[in-house]
Amino acid sequence: MKKLFYILVFLLTANMPELLAQDKLSNAVYALQNGELVKAQELIDAAIEDPLFKNDSRTWYYRGNIYKELYKANESENKQSPLRNIAVVSFKMSYELDNGGEVSTSTKKNLKYLASTIFNDAATSFDTENYLLAIDNYAIYKNIIQYIEPQTNFTEKDIQFKLALATTYTQLSLKDSLNKEVYLDNVKKLYEEVLELDENNISANYNLGILYYNKGADIVNNMDYSLDLAELNRIQEELYIIFKKSLPYMKRAYDLNPKKEETLIGLQGIYLSMNDKEKSEAYKQELEKLKGKTNK
Amino acid sequence: MVILNKKLRNIWFAFLCLMLSLSFGFAESKSPKIDTNAKIKAVFLYNFTKYIEWPSDYKNGNFVVGILGNSSSLYKELTIMSKTKKVASQDFEIRVYTSPDEISDKVHMLYIPDESSSKFTSAVKKLKGKSTLIVTETPGLSVKGSGINFVVVENRQKFELNKSNVEGHNLKVSKSLEDLALVVK
Repeated sequence: MKKLFYILVFLLTANMPELLAQDKLSNAVYALQNGELVKAQELIDAAIEDPLFKNDSRTWYYRGNIYKELYKANESENKQSPLRNIAVVSFKMSYELDNGGEVSTSTKKNLKYLASTIFNDAATSFDTENYLLAIDNYAIYKNIIQYIEPQTNFTEKDIQFKLALATTYTQLSLKDSLNKEVYLDNVKKLYEEVLELDENNISANYNLGILYYNKGADIVNNMDYSLDLAELNRIQEELYIIFKKSLPYMKRAYDLNPKKEETLIGLQGIYLSMNDKEKSEAYKQELEKLKGKTNK
Repeated sequence: MVILNKKLRNIWFAFLCLMLSLSFGFAESKSPKIDTNAKIKAVFLYNFTKYIEWPSDYKNGNFVVGILGNSSSLYKELTIMSKTKKVASQDFEIRVYTSPDEISDKVHMLYIPDESSSKFTSAVKKLKGKSTLIVTETPGLSVKGSGINFVVVENRQKFELNKSNVEGHNLKVSKSLEDLALVVK
């Protein structure tokens, strides 16, 4: 009898850590199902410290779910939510450990969901105050999607992202005259990058045309009326080079969409600035014709 | 193992689809609202006042620059210029004439845009004997009475100077202006 007692004690003691850890995991899941998120958080954080369960994909899967719910409950307005970051890290860990096992499909869906919230936080941060957050969040979004679907083609989204960022830098150039050239240089690079991805992108072609046109117009706007004639001749040389750079982009935008009024206005202005009255007049007439049709 | 039931999952994916419908917004810039040629011409016109001397009886009162016909961009530029610049102590006054017949007082400079070149001959006749610098922008007018005629050479704005036409209106031309002009004799 005494011997049997010792055997039972030994068996219970030997399995105690596993039983305790199992208990933490089960209780964490139970707490999650009952909406007791803080309790679930404490239990799951304890469970992942246990050597017996820290390499189990399910532990990380539940942790991801608990933190995801915590994020939704407490930090859904926080575009840099630490809770969401922990959820992402946990689901990634689960996905890696599971390696196509029973929780992989659900983990992938959860990661996609979290990625979508990060993407949306990037999309709604494109203003002159928060654009750095947009840049960070878009990079995080891509990182998650690339992790679960390495073959994803981001070209279209990258184009939209670069166009949005270029718009923000353009707005910044208008607000911060001290760093205007730096911002405009960034704008130029972004549009060029878009054209590397898609040479037929109308917005990038049009905006790059306008960028050079504006540069020339700015020089003219800032000229003092008392500028001497020798200097005026030098500036005219500079202007001609700038307007000439603008032309191929604006023409390409026109070729891609001849019915766009802004492009016709741009071409009319660029040719006029290049002292080519005939061509400027031709685009002016085309614009008037188009406006006539539009008004009918 | 299953945390979310099927109904909840469906709601969740509907939400997911809605979330993914957001996209990056971008705007397109507008063409600048400036007639660069008008500003460049205004700079030229202001410079002409520095290189040309008007007789003493034209050195008091306002310095009148007239535009014959419609050239709203140039009028706008000259009006802006008139607010900050002077010719010696004379303030600028910018006038628009629809016909040479409207010119009665002293006009220091008359600009005749290409669109009004049909009125050139009558303007020259009207200004005979007056110290008015006639400035045009139509090919060939510098040999027909214009003092200064804007021309486009290789897409750049230049000007022809007909010194004898200018001097014919009792105006003195500085050598520096001759050096910068395409001289027409």
